Amino acid sequence: MSTQTPQNDLLVLEEIHTFIGQFHILEGVSLRVPKDSITVMLGRNGAGKTTTLKSILGLTPPQQGRVIFDGMEIQGKHAYNIANLGIGYVPEHRAIFRALSVMENLKLAERKKGDFDKHEEFIFNLFPDLKRLYKLPGNHLSGGQQQMLAVARALVPDNKLLLIDEPSEGLAPILIQQMMEAIRILSTTTTILLVEQNFIMASQLAQRFTIIDDGKSPHSGLMSDLVNDTELVHHYLGASIKTRKEMELSHEAEN
Amino acid sequence: MKPKTKKIITLSIVVLVVLVITLLLYKVAGKEPFIRTALSGLTLGSLFFLVAAGLTLIFGLMDVLNFAHGSMFMLGAYMGWQLYTNPTFIFALLPHLLAFATGVMLLPLIKPTLVRMKLPEKWVNAIPKITLVLALLLAVFSFIGFDILAYAKTAMVAASIATAGNPFAEITPQEPFATYWIRPVLIFLSGLLVAIASAKPGNKQEFAVRERLSKTLPVPVIFFSLTILALVVRESAPKAVLLMDGNLRFAIAVLVSIIFGFVFGQVVEITLIRPLYVRPTFIIIMTLGLSYVIRELVQLLWDPLAYQMVRPPFAAQPGKAANLLEWFQKGSSTLNIFGVTFPTYRLFVIALGIVMFIFITILMTRSRLGMIIRAGVQDPQMVEALGINVKSIFTLVFALGVAMAALGGIGAGPFLPIQPLMGDQYQTQGLITVVIGGMGSYVGAFVGAMILGMARAFGDYFALKYSLSTAIAEASTVIIMIIVLLARPQGLFGKKE
Repeated sequence: MSTQTPQNDLLVLEEIHTFIGQFHILEGVSLRVPKDSITVMLGRNGAGKTTTLKSILGLTPPQQGRVIFDGMEIQGKHAYNIANLGIGYVPEHRAIFRALSVMENLKLAERKKGDFDKHEEFIFNLFPDLKRLYKLPGNHLSGGQQQMLAVARALVPDNKLLLIDEPSEGLAPILIQQMMEAIRILSTTTTILLVEQNFIMASQLAQRFTIIDDGKSPHSGLMSDLVNDTELVHHYLGASIKTRKEMELSHEAEN
Repeated sequence: MKPKTKKIITLSIVVLVVLVITLLLYKVAGKEPFIRTALSGLTLGSLFFLVAAGLTLIFGLMDVLNFAHGSMFMLGAYMGWQLYTNPTFIFALLPHLLAFATGVMLLPLIKPTLVRMKLPEKWVNAIPKITLVLALLLAVFSFIGFDILAYAKTAMVAASIATAGNPFAEITPQEPFATYWIRPVLIFLSGLLVAIASAKPGNKQEFAVRERLSKTLPVPVIFFSLTILALVVRESAPKAVLLMDGNLRFAIAVLVSIIFGFVFGQVVEITLIRPLYVRPTFIIIMTLGLSYVIRELVQLLWDPLAYQMVRPPFAAQPGKAANLLEWFQKGSSTLNIFGVTFPTYRLFVIALGIVMFIFITILMTRSRLGMIIRAGVQDPQMVEALGINVKSIFTLVFALGVAMAALGGIGAGPFLPIQPLMGDQYQTQGLITVVIGGMGSYVGAFVGAMILGMARAFGDYFALKYSLSTAIAEASTVIIMIIVLLARPQGLFGKKE
């Protein structure tokens, strides 16, 4: 980790504190997202992962601490200004606009006229289904299609960073595979900060991880280290998750 | 049951009910009264729609119930009527308003520099407050000795004398330029201070990209030239406007109402409503208070009297036109529709309502703004996360709504008495319309407005025919609201929560 200089980090959070109403949700979260990589935030439900994403975007502005994006302090700025710096957001629960058609959902995400035409081919190559559903209103799409639309929407403008919140939530296994593939392709062109409950998926995609627990960020490092650290995984992510080591062990035991 | 078959069944039931009611009314009332009452209903419905459309859009997007909407309707009528009969009032105020706007419009030009200033924390907090107080003082100074009441009161004199054929006899002379010039200068400085305050000098949380001059300069330059123009034509313009062709003058009056509504809406949203979004109930109380303030100000300027605005010439010539073409040629005041004599100006109001409905439909379904509004109704946060300034969209929608109410006001001007309470009825009916049609649905607002208009018109007709109290007509709209609420709590076109 020491090989990475701060200049390589596209996004740095330094001890941010965020309140929602009177509740102190984030009590000092720090994390780094190096350029051209996938970083994943892991942690239990309610640990503050989504709030961290929203704090980066300024939807729930942090009261303390610094958010540095591309060498510039962005904490406290208006959310639309932050987004216009080149941050795309894929919210949880597939928050697409149900009253708008697929086409309108995508067009709405344009920051400059012609953004969509520029990336149309790329988006439809990634999610061929959307081309077929082009004119349907958003509320006629299935859950998986809505999730794809939510990701596709973040691809319309040129983004330096994508914040993706639980892309696999409630998806069928085959769609999870497709979504993973899409995210992997995306990571070749943009930096991605991912929130993911599905540990298997997270461990296959991400190069780095940060664990969020109880509004703090106690651990971060390389994913390759985490998959072998049974104790850490069990402590923060629950006993139901099997690390690669355990899986290998059980595999050997079966044989 | 499939949603599609369900839709078809509901639709056919609705069509059937509407047909039965229409036939029933036709049978009971007879042909001529039916047509006349139906047209009256459409006229009322058009006006209800112009009020309700703004209310419903504003409520749908930002959950704000604007109780001052009726007052804005009334203000629209007053402003248009002023230009139509007493342009002195408008042109006396115009240099002030434009000079102030020029100052405020300098904001994008000065903001990037001011925001980047390095200032101690306490100055960052203090400067906006100090400049705002100074701006207020300057604005007050600029009006000292400016007899605005005299310009407003000219209206009544001019209106009475206009009928005698001499509209210029009593126009209040404008202040000589030698003493007048200081006023626009002061108020320009006041506007500039407001711009400085809203730029928040030295505030690190603010963000402003340095734009090229070609982008930021034109707007203030345009406003500056308009101010100079308004200063130059201050004395000659009122006469020129009064001598103009009546139809053109009416068109300008309508335009003035719309522009006034748009600007007034923006000012109200930015200064009064924006700080209160976190406390929605306060907004209701604030707008209610605002409606009283507006009413009192209007009473102060024009006295609590009812004025009659002269109909524009295209619907004022004596005589009855046999068909639409003849009306357009002669500008007759009444028209023969299937043997019924009907005032042509009311047909104009009906057309106004329909045109505005088409305009809103196109705006909502075809334009990017419409897309943003529809998306913002569902999830304003996500719209913001896409990089769209939702706050400015709120301002725009509020201003659009108020502009439409003001258009309704000037539309109603020539056949309603113009008085400070003229908007109250439309406020109530507009709210009922929004509830019937479904909060946030413009189609619902149109259908609801037409239903209410019909109910009022036929209620009045039957009350007169069977010598009942006219309160029946007024109560009928509330009864319809109760029935709709019991059957469909979300309104006819509302979405279930």
